[in-house]
Amino acid sequence: MSGRQRVDGQTAFILHSYAYSETSLIIDVFSRDFGRLPLLARGARRPRSAMRGVLQAFQPLELAWFGAGEVRTLARAEWLGGMPMLGGTALLLGYYLNELLMKLLPREDAHAALFNAYATTLQSLAQSRNGSVSATTHLRQFEKALLRELGYGMVLEREAVTGEAVLPDRLYHYLIERGPVLTAANHEVAGDQIQGQTIRGKTLLDLARDDYADPRTLSESKLLMRMLINHYLAGQALQSRRVFLELQEL
Amino acid sequence: MPGSLENLIEALRCLPSVGPKSAQRMAYYLLQRERPGAQRLVDALTAALSRIRHCQRCNTFTEDECCERCSSAKRDPSLLCVVEMPVDLNMMEQTHAFNGLYYVLMGRLSPLDGIGPKELKLERLLERACDGAVKEVIMATNFTNEGEATAHYLSDLLHTRGIKVSRMARGLPVGGELEFTDAGTIAQAFYERRDY
Ligand SMILES: [Zn+2]
Repeated sequence: MSGRQRVDGQTAFILHSYAYSETSLIIDVFSRDFGRLPLLARGARRPRSAMRGVLQAFQPLELAWFGAGEVRTLARAEWLGGMPMLGGTALLLGYYLNELLMKLLPREDAHAALFNAYATTLQSLAQSRNGSVSATTHLRQFEKALLRELGYGMVLEREAVTGEAVLPDRLYHYLIERGPVLTAANHEVAGDQIQGQTIRGKTLLDLARDDYADPRTLSESKLLMRMLINHYLAGQALQSRRVFLELQEL
Repeated sequence: MPGSLENLIEALRCLPSVGPKSAQRMAYYLLQRERPGAQRLVDALTAALSRIRHCQRCNTFTEDECCERCSSAKRDPSLLCVVEMPVDLNMMEQTHAFNGLYYVLMGRLSPLDGIGPKELKLERLLERACDGAVKEVIMATNFTNEGEATAHYLSDLLHTRGIKVSRMARGLPVGGELEFTDAGTIAQAFYERRDY
């Protein structure tokens, strides 16, 4: 897509915003049909700007923009509503989602399914009270949807080498970009590719079905997702994770 | 370009939202048209750098170990109001509704900008709030996501230390008419409606 264009009535979320000059903002938005892109919000930092209260993260907005080049200009922003502000732990989880999108999603790549998954996850976070099991469920679902949309979909129910069904009572290692292998078969398969902890077959099957009632599933799937996400982050540190851990230490 | 001019331009770029072009414009202006002003700037900066520090108790800028407000006997030491910036403190003072003491964070938690508890030195506030005199901490951080995150984590930390925490209420402005209030404010006032 090149040349000048005007986009109207686009549902979007703000992932982050940066001050740009005394009076303007650059907003990093995630839109339904155009993916992630930066927009210049002229005058949005002025005290009486009508946009000032509207340009908040974690709220569905309807945006219009125009222009060519890397940074288009925001023309209009309207509050769509229906989503309470995130509070407490949900807010930190929200920052984590935004940071994942900012670091893993290439610019101007439309991902409508991921957009819907993001909106649903925020809605559930806004309604769940403080780090409950349901919040974790939504987080894992979102991480899976993100990997799938980026083309790194996870294999959970079939063994990577033999293609046999994963059995709940066996132990597996998870090979990045391949899938689970039985721990006993490790040395024959991949030698130094093996990373991370062993995982129960039940955890893999629970993760495939998004069933986190089992506490061991909860902890093992968290570690597995962290290993995979760290791999795709390729060395970029997650600030939201660091801040979260530092807050736990106080 | 002479080295000292280049240095000046480079130095001016430490100011917020000053890029290479504005820095160059400022440097030329100061040297060509405003030499006395440039000297005043140098003197003021030198004086401020050597004299201004953070108040030991409230963290705001002061020339003393402890600022005038924190040393005042007329203030109620059992109430501690937490604000993000000195301008917020000034606004609170204008209300004449509060006679306690303050703590100025000089920022807010902002994970995506890399500002966490260490950068904000939150442990200093915890120490301050646990001085034995403080009975209630009032969270007056902004009603932005960052302000909310800050208030939430501080309240958790203060609760576990046995201190009562309250949060400024948000809703319609005084004299506010629904017709002329933005949708976000009305929505949040609705979500947080109270018994009446
Ligand atoms: Zn003070």
